[in-house]
Amino acid sequence: MIRRAIDKKKSLMIGVLSILVLMGFYSLVSHWQHQKNPDDSTIPTWTQLGQGVQKIIEVNPRSDERWIVVDSKATMSRLFLGLFFGVAGAVVIGLLMGCFTPFEAFLAPPMSLLAKVPPTAALAVFFVLAGTDTRMYVAMISFGVLPTLAQSIYLAVKEVPDETLYKAYTLGASQTELIWNIILRHIMPKMLDAVRLQIGPAMVYLIAAEMVVGDVGFGYRIRLQSRLLNMNVVYPYLAVLAAFGFFMDVLLRRTQHIFFRWYTHGKR
Amino acid sequence: MTRISLFRFFVFAALVLILPARTVVCEETKTPSFSLAWSEYPSWSTFGVADEVKLIDGEKGKMGPIEKKWNVDIVLKEADYDSCLVMYGASQCDAVCITNMDVLNPCLSRPSMAILPTSTSHGADACLVTEDITDVKQLKMMKVYGLAKTVSEYCFVRNLEILGEKEKDYRFTNMDPSAAALAMQQKKDGFDAIVVWNPYVLETLTKRKDVKVLFDSTSIPGEIIDMVAMSKASLDMPGGQAFACAIIDTFYALVRRMDDPKTADDTLVALGEKFSNLSLASMKEVVKQTQFYKQPDQGITVLTSQNTQDTMKKVVSFCVAHDIVSQPPTLSYGNAEPQKPVMLSFNPMFIEKVKNTP
Repeated sequence: MIRRAIDKKKSLMIGVLSILVLMGFYSLVSHWQHQKNPDDSTIPTWTQLGQGVQKIIEVNPRSDERWIVVDSKATMSRLFLGLFFGVAGAVVIGLLMGCFTPFEAFLAPPMSLLAKVPPTAALAVFFVLAGTDTRMYVAMISFGVLPTLAQSIYLAVKEVPDETLYKAYTLGASQTELIWNIILRHIMPKMLDAVRLQIGPAMVYLIAAEMVVGDVGFGYRIRLQSRLLNMNVVYPYLAVLAAFGFFMDVLLRRTQHIFFRWYTHGKR
Repeated sequence: MTRISLFRFFVFAALVLILPARTVVCEETKTPSFSLAWSEYPSWSTFGVADEVKLIDGEKGKMGPIEKKWNVDIVLKEADYDSCLVMYGASQCDAVCITNMDVLNPCLSRPSMAILPTSTSHGADACLVTEDITDVKQLKMMKVYGLAKTVSEYCFVRNLEILGEKEKDYRFTNMDPSAAALAMQQKKDGFDAIVVWNPYVLETLTKRKDVKVLFDSTSIPGEIIDMVAMSKASLDMPGGQAFACAIIDTFYALVRRMDDPKTADDTLVALGEKFSNLSLASMKEVVKQTQFYKQPDQGITVLTSQNTQDTMKKVVSFCVAHDIVSQPPTLSYGNAEPQKPVMLSFNPMFIEKVKNTP
């Protein structure tokens, strides 16, 4: 029957099974490739992947650093800094647009236009305007996520019921109190949803930029090791990225669930 | 789902699976088809231009006069350089336009043959500095930007060696050459020294009059070789050797167009069209700095000479020392059949065959 519920245990087992199927399929493809060419390094075997992981986590004799440590530090600091400025800017702009019609009239057209510009296509523009250091990565992520996020927040503000606002006014709330105590609290869970959806694109922008100008970071390492055909290093890096994205997603959903039960109540 | 619709579904699925397989079988009975991955670079764009001027047809199933002559279908796959390397390493193409340094890695897992040297860098890779830098020692105090683990870093390190300097005293910092050149052209802080290749060398020198060449690849003549490498497994397939000959024939046919006064300028402009927005005069400078091996005899010499063997020793030791290859590949030179299996052979037999075929 369509949409028939299944118990948690069964759901978990099916989830694990899907991962196992993926791993089995990978093993099969790798086996085929190594039958064709035993020295192949483009679809590494599990043993080769193990060697790659070892290379990532051990101290590199040339640089005296662990790749995964220096790359994670660089990429994560750029990502969080970029997201911080992007989200902060989007909250301010989204609230202004949603609360005050002159701001809405002034900011809505450029925001909807800018939201359509893929930052990866404008990579060279960011180099020109912001240089090639951390400032550029932060600018790229911030400007990449800001327009879409601002629009989501603006729409969320618009969805706050008029009755709630009137009631707050009737009870003597000032404009600032209304924004802080009613609107912001009302839009927070939706904002978390929007931020969650923007983590993926932010990572795309960052990795693309690191591939071109980085001398450290996930994008730099993936490009370099792809060129050297060390796919046993590339795949674990991709797995780390996927795990990070998944972890952030779960974290934000849990945050939403814990702090905004009124919003998530009834949702799965 | 009813029994009849299930039956229809399986029939449809079977057709979907069988039809492409039949297509492959049909194609297999036709002229053999092989692919060449190439990226924009003066001596490699020759294949793209040969496709434009109809010497060959790079589309699968279509053939130009050279392909008909050798009875083989050349499929051209254009991509950026890094993608070409990955494509070749993953056996997604039969031959690739590659440098003598970058070929060392894929040949470890895919035994290859250097069938055609196309050009050598003679000034096309250069260390550009601002005019206040007059001595290489001044670079110790700053970052030198360029693409790490490529011919840029090789050119930099070799020149340091020649100048009696130690590599560990300098900071070569990874950056894509387009970004490094752009940053220097914009006079960004900290971008006083970059190692890039053409067209970025000429573009930067044109746009910033206060920038000069500190050293370039003219000090290491013949060490950076651009060439076409082909998988030995593909060479052993029916039509593989004809493909190698057709590729070589195409290259020399286009070089003749470059030398013919009637078609020289057009060909040069076509070569530079996607490579850069440099003028015809600048393109003439580009092909001086990227010296083509225009004659088959020059190509044969490169693939057999002692000079190349000495060069490759230096290149291999650089690549091992810089973690570019995990182990030194076994190499062989010339026509003689090697005693043991080698990973990369420099073999002039196909150039000789083309040279001797009218």
